[in-house]
Amino acid sequence: MEQVIQYSESELILLLSQRNEAAFSYLYDHYSGALYTNILTIVGDQEAAADTLQEVFIKIFRQIDSYDSVKGRLYTWMLNIARNAAIDTTRNKGFQKTKQNQELSENVYDFAGSAEIKSDDIGLRKAVHGLRPEWRVLIELAYFEGYTQDEISKMLDIPLGTVKTRLRAALKELHKLIKE
Amino acid sequence: MNTQEYIQSGIIESYVLGMASSAEAAELEQLCLQYPEIKQALTDFESALEANALTKAIAPPPQLKQQIFASLKSEFVTVENKVAEKVSTLTPPLQETNVVKMNQPSRFLAAASIILLVISGGMNIYFYSKFKETTQQYQALVLEKNTLQANNQIMQTKSLDMFNSMQMMTDPNMQKVSMPGIAGKESNYATVFWDMKSKDVYILPNKLPQPAVGKQYQLWAIVDGKPVDAGVISDCAGLCKMKNIPAASMFAITLEKSGGSETPTLSEMYVAGKVG
Repeated sequence: MEQVIQYSESELILLLSQRNEAAFSYLYDHYSGALYTNILTIVGDQEAAADTLQEVFIKIFRQIDSYDSVKGRLYTWMLNIARNAAIDTTRNKGFQKTKQNQELSENVYDFAGSAEIKSDDIGLRKAVHGLRPEWRVLIELAYFEGYTQDEISKMLDIPLGTVKTRLRAALKELHKLIKE
Repeated sequence: MNTQEYIQSGIIESYVLGMASSAEAAELEQLCLQYPEIKQALTDFESALEANALTKAIAPPPQLKQQIFASLKSEFVTVENKVAEKVSTLTPPLQETNVVKMNQPSRFLAAASIILLVISGGMNIYFYSKFKETTQQYQALVLEKNTLQANNQIMQTKSLDMFNSMQMMTDPNMQKVSMPGIAGKESNYATVFWDMKSKDVYILPNKLPQPAVGKQYQLWAIVDGKPVDAGVISDCAGLCKMKNIPAASMFAITLEKSGGSETPTLSEMYVAGKVG
């Protein structure tokens, strides 16, 4: 069934601030896929992504009053919560162990073409795939792994100004690819 | 500043994707307020990113929504919860105010109606006494009016009689006989008017004392040396019509018993006068 009730963004925000269940249900139905996809591109594991998504929606519900519509759209705010939560998940020690085990099992049983969704095919990562390699690595580190430009500069041994310039150029190119 | 250069710098994408430093973010937020084209570029990229994410979305596991909503169950504010909350907090004072609100107007109305009844009763007494007073005054006025009318009638009659008397007195056929007071009664005076045609006699008691009770003045005509009764003088305005006397040499008035006497009491003679 298609969603019958349609909210404008301002209506939705107002109802969410009143802790309205129907509005939150609409928000989930409308954005859970987009946010889940984004989390999945960072986390790479469906179960961990689902756990992270649950955590993200609870955070969105509880912190809706901290959203400021002057600073940007609701989706942008939610995307940043999702991205930060997803990066936190990847940095969790337990998660890294599981990931390693998975990679090991994948190697052992050769899971090519399995039900596992390859994160390179989805969301922003798919667009990033179309970038040149020297830009792609910057987006990978900065966006998907959450490193600061200073950290990247040190990691790659590239001057900070160059990191900044290249990253901006990469983002502009990414913008074009998204619009296509 | 060159806004196009700023828009093309990649800062907007960096900001939206959460990779801008806090200083860069603050600058962008400030510039969005100043330059609508920067704000527009920001919104455009946000919308493009959102649209892209929505169309290429992968659905999360279906049971996840249920899990999330179960853990948030107690935190939702439903319409029922709101109403229940309001009712539970408002019910006791609501009932109290209801009782007061239901009673106060009727109490007030009852008090007001009693007050109005008392005022109305007082007004009734006041107006009834006024009515009685006015009725009495009216009756007194009617009586006074009747009295005045009667008096007026009497006066009219009297004045008509006077007029008639005057007419008679000035009649050329009327002979006037003056009767001055006799010796000892000089202050008295009366006049006889004698119609020479009809021989009717009229008396005008110009000046005679008020007769005592049971007494009446009587006019006498002296015919051939003898007194003839010419009638008693009753209370009349102007001229009093007496008896018809064909001939007489003299007229006199004596005070007699009421109704008159056969012969005059000479000692009680007041006035007398010769004819001619």
